[in-house]
Amino acid sequence: MNYQIAIIGSKEAIEGFSLLGVKTVPAQNTEEAVEKIREMKRSSDEVFAIIFITEDLAKDFTQDDEKFFAKDPLPAIIPLPSHHGSTGYSMERLSRIVERAVGSDILK
Amino acid sequence: MAILNVNPTRMALLDLKKRVKSAERGHKLLKDKQDGLMKHFMEIVRDAKKLREEVEEMLGDAFKKFLIASAWMKEADLRNALSSPQAKLALSVKTKNVMSVRIPFFELEKEGEIKTYGYAGTNALLDEAIDALNEAFEILIQLAQIEKQAEALAIELETTRRRVNALEHKMIPDLKDTVKYIRLKLDEGERSAIIGTMKVKAQIEAAA
Repeated sequence: MNYQIAIIGSKEAIEGFSLLGVKTVPAQNTEEAVEKIREMKRSSDEVFAIIFITEDLAKDFTQDDEKFFAKDPLPAIIPLPSHHGSTGYSMERLSRIVERAVGSDILK
Repeated sequence: MAILNVNPTRMALLDLKKRVKSAERGHKLLKDKQDGLMKHFMEIVRDAKKLREEVEEMLGDAFKKFLIASAWMKEADLRNALSSPQAKLALSVKTKNVMSVRIPFFELEKEGEIKTYGYAGTNALLDEAIDALNEAFEILIQLAQIEKQAEALAIELETTRRRVNALEHKMIPDLKDTVKYIRLKLDEGERSAIIGTMKVKAQIEAAA
């Protein structure tokens, strides 16, 4: 079975990925991105294994959203630094994962 | 310290003793599971951090290259250049079961030419940018894999830790307290019965 890879972000940032065979999904703001991800999780004709999302959209995810995205084994929803550079969200997310598992942030 | 709501009878005592035993057994098993998960988690999480740092650098670079390239091109030309991708990505996913957590392993197969645009209207910067993106992409897949693994393990670890703690600090002490309570109650009843019979006996002897 073949899985799809998608990337969500502002149009200018992500369109380069289309040449690599990644499905590009433009979104302007966080709500739109969340809606798109929900849609992708629901669709049955295409199964997405990895959904990349640029940090500027991901940083305003609510906790409920994050929980919902983390729940299933697939897809993996991975924030990426955008063309504005890293906002530190991804690192913070990683720290949160560690904190959740261990009880305190041991990566520092 | 809380005593469960049970009748202090022999039946209840037997039942509770059984429950203490199985709770202790469950606690041990869960603790082992927690240790196993933790070991696995520790192995990957440091790699995850390293990989994440690498990606931040590479991708920021690649995005910048792409933006600069697109700034030099006409909107229509860029649209045109990007409009006919031929490369196909085949991603296969295998899942491995670690302590009943299913963690994914991604495997990427690329096919086809990436640079499916003509030389006219495009520039060398675009070539460079696409190369950079392509190079970064493999690491991105690895990152996705390892972060998803870490995430899945973290969720399971959290629930397991809660269960272990609940058993260790709540269930087992409560059960043990209740067993003790019933035992005291039963002993007390036994003593009171003996005293009762002794009293009766003494009265009968006094009357005779």
